[in-house]
Amino acid sequence: MNLTVHRCGSIKRIASLALAVSIALVAPASANTQVYDPQTRTWVDYGRTEAYRYYKKHGQVPEAFRRQIVRFRTAEQPGTIIIDGNQHFLYLVQPGQQAIRYGIGVGRDGFGWAGIVRVGRTAEWPTWTPPAEMVARDPNAAKWAGGQPGGPDNPLGARALYLYEGNQDTIYRIHGTPEPWTMGLDVSSGCIRMNNDDVIDLHSRVQVGAKVIVLMQGAALYKGV
Amino acid sequence: MGGRHGMSWSAKLATALLLFSCSISQANELVIAMPNWFSGRASANILKVALKNEFGLEAKVAEAGTLTAFAGLDAGTVDIHPEVWLPNLDNLVKKYVTDAKTVALSPVGVEAWQGMCATRAAADAGISDIADLNDPKKTAVLDTNDDGRGEIWIGAPAWSSTAIERIRANSYGYGKTVTLLDMQEDVGMAAVDAAAATASPLVFACYAPHAVFKLHDIVRLSEPSYDPAKWNILLPSEDPLWEQSSTAASAWDTARYHIAYATSLRDKHPEVVEFLDRVTFTPEEATEMSYALQVERQDPYDFAKQWVSKNAARIKEWAKP
Repeated sequence: MNLTVHRCGSIKRIASLALAVSIALVAPASANTQVYDPQTRTWVDYGRTEAYRYYKKHGQVPEAFRRQIVRFRTAEQPGTIIIDGNQHFLYLVQPGQQAIRYGIGVGRDGFGWAGIVRVGRTAEWPTWTPPAEMVARDPNAAKWAGGQPGGPDNPLGARALYLYEGNQDTIYRIHGTPEPWTMGLDVSSGCIRMNNDDVIDLHSRVQVGAKVIVLMQGAALYKGV
Repeated sequence: MGGRHGMSWSAKLATALLLFSCSISQANELVIAMPNWFSGRASANILKVALKNEFGLEAKVAEAGTLTAFAGLDAGTVDIHPEVWLPNLDNLVKKYVTDAKTVALSPVGVEAWQGMCATRAAADAGISDIADLNDPKKTAVLDTNDDGRGEIWIGAPAWSSTAIERIRANSYGYGKTVTLLDMQEDVGMAAVDAAAATASPLVFACYAPHAVFKLHDIVRLSEPSYDPAKWNILLPSEDPLWEQSSTAASAWDTARYHIAYATSLRDKHPEVVEFLDRVTFTPEEATEMSYALQVERQDPYDFAKQWVSKNAARIKEWAKP
């Protein structure tokens, strides 16, 4: 796999979003996602601070990033996963031209690549082993140099879907997170993160071997897998 | 478009020929080569069902790439190919139809089209003509990575049409204002699906007949008509400096596809040749065929039986006018 870091930080407006309750968000200059506030009828920035406050107040992420059935017309067969890192949605194609749409968090620089991979294997409450460079710079990671056992504090969350190209692990995963408020944000280190409830739901519906399409949008300087 | 419809099969020719020759049953009176794209699979089966109904002839549908199919038509192991795309396969037509005279084309063609398309949201944002892509203010809505340039998918890396779309972007000028992306067709089409699902603006290379036109509300960008004087294409395989040496500041020439058959069929079954020369599908029907097989996942043979049943009078007219 060739990887190229690309610039990010675009204004990502989450269309057809209806926040369940009024929110008062402060717009930071560096926000890269916007959500629609139906009470003020304006698009408001949705950054890390706003996301955290919102989650703390409501106990869930804004409506757009919650798991929901949406109309989704496609030639892809049911069971296929389509990841739109730009809009922070993961679609699981369903019969009848519908999809289950989940909110996702993606890497600080977007996903960084695009193409077609497959679910090579999955794991429940997976062990997380920090990369060597993270061990070197982060004392919190260093203590898990030998692998952090699965559990509620594990960065990979409740489930992991390991993405393969052919029979080779791409090193990318779709996984859960202990930070559920980060859906809709560009925060992780390259993987696709989901709320634990959502990743458990996705894991229960997905077959090993499922086709995964990672879109190019938001990753113009991507390299294919 | 050559890569889209058969020319990328050359590397597999030897293997395919072997497999193909082994797969042909002597019991069948006729062999129809079936392409791997969806309208071709449908039309191959429609011909199979119609030949049985009208002439009592058994025909075997055998999957084959275009080069393999032409070699079979030339050698007499294949009788019919349902979709030969022109001008993409002009070189094969010259070799087998014009020079060797072992293959003939039906005079009736299905009109095909290729160009640039926009989702409804992109059209509503002011992108409806190819010239709109030269306006950075308009293409700003296509920018998803905040680098000030919109992004446009121009095709799969292996397609010859992708190189030509790059040349067209350079010639029209929008190669300077937008970022051109190439990626497998499934990724390009899934992006259209996701854009349609969220009413987001997207511009992409497209061709018809194609199921995308039935799946979504798609706007074809208008552009100046095909002008041979402005169309000078050198492909990467022909010239390492192809991008600088080529120009294409007009729409694509109209493409068509035709049924091809072995000229030996004229002696074996002249009535079938007369029939094939009259078979005609509209572009809309070809899109319906693609949609039925690709999106609805209908079995090609079952679909063909239904299609033939629904169009019985028309098929009778083709068979016995």
